[in-house]
Amino acid sequence: MAPGNFGVKLVTVAGFEADDTLEQDAQLVQQCLQGDGPAWEELVRRHTRRIFNICYRFTGNGTEAEDLSQEVFLRVYKTLGSYRSAHGGFATWMTSVTRNLLIDHYRRTKRDRITDSLEDAMPVVENKESVGRRPDQQLLLGELSFQVQAALTRLSPELREAVILRDLQQLEYNEIRQVLDVPEGTVKSRINRGRIELARILQQMGVRPS
Amino acid sequence: MTWTCELTEARLSEYLDGLLSPDERHAFDLHVNACVHCVPLVSSVSHLLSDLHSIEQIEPPAQLVYSILNQTLGPRESKKGWRVAFGWLNAVASARFAYSAVSLLATVAILLTASGFSFRKPKLADLSPVNVYRFADRQAHVAYARSTKFVSDLRVVYEIQSRLSKDNELPTTPESTVPKSSPGKNPGSTDGTRPETPRQQNRANDIGRQLELLAMQVPVASAGFCHQLILRRTP
Repeated sequence: MAPGNFGVKLVTVAGFEADDTLEQDAQLVQQCLQGDGPAWEELVRRHTRRIFNICYRFTGNGTEAEDLSQEVFLRVYKTLGSYRSAHGGFATWMTSVTRNLLIDHYRRTKRDRITDSLEDAMPVVENKESVGRRPDQQLLLGELSFQVQAALTRLSPELREAVILRDLQQLEYNEIRQVLDVPEGTVKSRINRGRIELARILQQMGVRPS
Repeated sequence: MTWTCELTEARLSEYLDGLLSPDERHAFDLHVNACVHCVPLVSSVSHLLSDLHSIEQIEPPAQLVYSILNQTLGPRESKKGWRVAFGWLNAVASARFAYSAVSLLATVAILLTASGFSFRKPKLADLSPVNVYRFADRQAHVAYARSTKFVSDLRVVYEIQSRLSKDNELPTTPESTVPKSSPGKNPGSTDGTRPETPRQQNRANDIGRQLELLAMQVPVASAGFCHQLILRRTP
């Protein structure tokens, strides 16, 4: 192991708030507020995959993720007039709405969650693009995703959402701060503790590092 | 700067995300490389990041978008059967796609024409590499021969023009053949001088013979041009 390099290149993620994406979203929002149905449809298509993945990775359940995704878009549709671009990008605001719904859902279903089995946690099909890979790579990717998901559900909600937003959704620290509405120091702390805890859980599950 | 195991654990994510200052990073490296307790932690978390970043996004169910649109915009017909099969037509019905398609077709048509493919009598054999090569080779040789001939014709025409221009510099009138030193031409008198220039008729015949020789080397068009010159020069 080379000193100063632990096998991972330092990732400089760009987040999803690129300038052109921000501008396009802002234009679509304005059109939606003027009653443009196709603009709303475009917004839905652009963000469905991302919102679904956040919901799925947080809940570990495909059916719940689908229901929650619909609920997110319904809430966004009803409160679109309250969005202000000065407070950040539309995607960040939408992620914040998603996170709040997930926390509310978690608190409502806390009592029922203890008995959830791992079989119920993975009903959806993995990314179809992995079909073209070699069989061993496809199996490895699916298995890893399953194992990471199982480990994620064992994290506390605060640490889980931090790891999901940073390492699975590639958000910047500043964007996560806006979504969680906490100081940046808290964001760093949660991400750090979440990663360390997740690595420990995977080690306990016997998952070998790649 | 002194670095400890507690600092390693507390600021591990900042190190992996490149948020430490150079001094802090240096102190981190120095400590971890010498600490048996910190190496496993740093290694496991760094490998975890690699795994997390390699996980692909999950595709949502196909009907999720339509469910969302139904709940927000109202009931919509879900596309089934032929609507799904031909739904892609909506994406291609745009000016940009049409322009791209026309450009692509034009390129294919040009390439097929250049390769010798006949659109009136299409044959698959015309597209075989051997036939394409033969056609291209033949076309190249024909083009080379035509260009060589064109250059040769230009040379001949230039020579004709240059000789005619020389001819124009020669005296053509009887008066111009009179020796300059002679005071005048009186019957029965002579100043004993010889004309320095040949007579007009002999010169014209000579030019005509040369033009005829040159005309034999040129195609019909330029031959006609030379014939006109010959007629013009011959009295």
